[in-house]
Amino acid sequence: MVYVSQKNELIFPISEKYEEYLIDESKFMGNAESISFPKNEDEIISILKIMKEKNIPITIQGGKTGIVGSAVPLEGHIMNLSYMNNVKEYEILEDGTGTITVESGINLIDLKKEILRIFKEKALFWPPEPTETSATVGGIIATDAKGINAFVYENIQKYIKELRVVRASGIIEVVSKEDFNKVIGKEGITGVISQITLKLIKKPSEIWGISFFFENEEDASNFIDAVRNDVPKSETAFIGAFEYIDKTSLNLIEGRKPTMAKIKELPDIDENFECMCYIEIHGEDEGIEEIAGNLMETAAMYNSDPDTAWAVSGETEIEKTRAFRHAAPETANLFIEEKRREDKRITKLGTDMSIPNISFLDMIKKYRDGLSKYGLNGCIFGHGLENHLHVNILPNSYDEYLKGIELIREWAKYYLENNGQIVCEHGIGKLKKKIFEGMLSEEFINNYKILKKEFDVDMIWNRGNIL
Amino acid sequence: MKIAVFMKQVPAYSEGNMDEKTGVIIRAGLPSIANVYDVVALETALRIKEITNAEITVFTMGPDKAEDVIREAYSMGADKGYLICDKAFAGSDVLATSYTLSQAVSSVDNFDIILCGKQTTDGDTAQVSGAVAEWLGIPHMNWVCEIINVTENEINVKCQLDGRLSVIQTAYPCILSVEKSIFTPRMPSLKLKMSSRKKEISKITLDDLNDKNENNYGLKGSATKVRKIFPPERTAKRDIVIKNGKDGADYILEIFKNTFNSKEENI
Ligand SMILES: Cc1cc2nc3c(=O)[nH]c(=O)nc-3n(C[C@H](O)[C@H](O)[C@H](O)COP(=O)(O)OP(=O)(O)OC[C@H]3O[C@@H](n4cnc5c(N)ncnc54)[C@H](O)[C@@H]3O)c2cc1C
Ligand SMILES: Cc1cc2nc3c(=O)[nH]c(=O)nc-3n(C[C@H](O)[C@H](O)[C@H](O)COP(=O)(O)OP(=O)(O)OC[C@H]3O[C@@H](n4cnc5c(N)ncnc54)[C@H](O)[C@@H]3O)c2cc1C
Repeated sequence: MVYVSQKNELIFPISEKYEEYLIDESKFMGNAESISFPKNEDEIISILKIMKEKNIPITIQGGKTGIVGSAVPLEGHIMNLSYMNNVKEYEILEDGTGTITVESGINLIDLKKEILRIFKEKALFWPPEPTETSATVGGIIATDAKGINAFVYENIQKYIKELRVVRASGIIEVVSKEDFNKVIGKEGITGVISQITLKLIKKPSEIWGISFFFENEEDASNFIDAVRNDVPKSETAFIGAFEYIDKTSLNLIEGRKPTMAKIKELPDIDENFECMCYIEIHGEDEGIEEIAGNLMETAAMYNSDPDTAWAVSGETEIEKTRAFRHAAPETANLFIEEKRREDKRITKLGTDMSIPNISFLDMIKKYRDGLSKYGLNGCIFGHGLENHLHVNILPNSYDEYLKGIELIREWAKYYLENNGQIVCEHGIGKLKKKIFEGMLSEEFINNYKILKKEFDVDMIWNRGNIL
Repeated sequence: MKIAVFMKQVPAYSEGNMDEKTGVIIRAGLPSIANVYDVVALETALRIKEITNAEITVFTMGPDKAEDVIREAYSMGADKGYLICDKAFAGSDVLATSYTLSQAVSSVDNFDIILCGKQTTDGDTAQVSGAVAEWLGIPHMNWVCEIINVTENEINVKCQLDGRLSVIQTAYPCILSVEKSIFTPRMPSLKLKMSSRKKEISKITLDDLNDKNENNYGLKGSATKVRKIFPPERTAKRDIVIKNGKDGADYILEIFKNTFNSKEENI
């Protein structure tokens, strides 16, 4: 049944021009009958009322950059929040930091511009950054997205002062701090985040981005383990990011680089290099140098020539090397998009698991063994110090795609048996729900069921996510 | 062999904000970078150094903060750096900038090659290198897109002139402005970056120059004055056309045909 409001034109029937709203970066494609683009909380409530009367489920959408299909509708109505992207107010605090109140559909690119415009040389920022800058603040909170600086800046809750949510009842709730966790990371199943007051902090006075290159993966893994075992510190600086990128990822990036505006001017990577580690050091210059010197020595011990290591500083240059790291998932997703055009059943197949108790070397060996046992190609990148890698299976056929699911389940089983986590920052959505069918613990599922009961008995919001 | 490279610090980007009264771009809070064309000029010098073992000296004219450009140049492989900085130099236009730069290089050494970027991304006049050539009375090769051959005594280059390529050979000294496409600049190396922090940067003030008459520098020595800087008007919004497969291809073909037809008519 399609319900289309004629008078106020809040709701539009799905037609060819809205096709892009049926898919997200997971490349999983769904279906819907209608779509809306509310411009404020009142419009959210009006649309909700209409849908509730007809018992039509609503899928909430931000920037559609999610990679588990959680913003992809299976049926019913799409509520896309990209028009709710205004700054409502801001405050400059005495300690030099500030807060900014935004509508949830603002994306990171616009948020950064607004922060720069408002706070100027105060140099503030909002730390939760899942590297993909078209992600919206609402989507980031709903998925508890993290990104490369996560282990330094930690919990997203620290950077939220106030959260407003439109509940299924049509009531706008200012969520109490104790209840933030009933919204954060809950993939929109408890309501629409409509407005957020973000706490901004001071940018580090300097950032260095260092890229170490290695001629084999074992050297790189030993380097990572050495750093994990004795993380270099100084009084005025700290390691802010530690990312690993393997050869397949480097090849994918190099192949697409000429068409990627942000990185096309970076020099080509020497073909002899098998992998790289991208490390950021945040803080004061002297402290940064101390840590950089320490890392340089350790890397040299594992055969990374410090003459070949890149080192940049300054926001513009750091953005380039971050864009290079970001190109790893981007190009993996582009590979999947190409395969999906050949076979609509193919979607992204990426892991998001971490395991604290084994060495990086053992972890990567486990991934390599799995890939070769199943005869699959895959690219590997992710967060080195947290033993949290994203292995993206690159299937050439649907048959390989199915094998990939089997392999990911095999890894997940091992992780669960060894105190690992099988979902860290990407969420479960619809894709991981399918892939991990029968593997998520009852307690885990029950927690979501309890939340659904408390906030949305009629299952109006985001039907098909997690539960 | 001695190479001088001129590098300017520019704002990383412009938000198009302008002080309504003074007409000057508001730069507060905007990060600064080395002009991208000048990083390419430095890369060209480094490539020449790989062949001839030349010594590379970087010159930048700007405020104290412009020192960052020299540190960046050190971390890419430059040997020496000079910051040209004096209150007397403030407000320079092309005439005064080029005069100051030529006075500065002459005060340091006899350089075989001076390398400049094709243009800056802020002033954007692309005139400084030609003006320096004129002040120093040396050959000037503009828009160099390829180094064909370089030796201790001469250099042979390809220049991308309007609608044609020109191959030019000259003995030293000479000045070259390079196209961005000539080389992809290398990334700063960690080892050099670490050592660059401690490396000396020399400062050149009015006192160090041959001509010490301050009327020839800065605002006083400038023949032009920028009255207003403003972002260009936005062009009208265009419709988004969505077409599939063959329809899409036909539509694009039609646009091509119209474009080329109208070009032919113009000719
Ligand atoms: C190339 C690439 C790299 C990435 N790298 C990382 C990474 O390093 N770390 C990481 O954590 N993630 C990463 N992501 C994932 C992605 O950016 C995040 O999941 C993002 O937070 C989703 O934001 P969005 O606005 O696009 O949300 P969408 O994809 O539109 O939605 C995601 C979920 O949030 C819900 N939602 C959206 N807005 C609201 C709202 N206002 N109220 C309630 N629910 C809402 C949706 O219903 C859906 O369940 C990457 C993605 C890409 C494409
Ligand atoms: C905001 C702003 C305000 C200005 N206001 C005035 C004004 O009030 N009056 C006025 O007369 N002019 C003004 N100018 C012009 C300014 O003086 C020019 O930018 C300057 O003369 C250099 O010219 P250019 O940047 O166009 O260099 P280009 O000719 O485009 O540069 C070519 C090459 O010359 C070299 N080069 C140029 N400048 C330097 C430098 N400083 N140090 C080292 N190498 C260099 C570089 O290799 C560069 O690639 C203003 C410019 C800006 C951006």
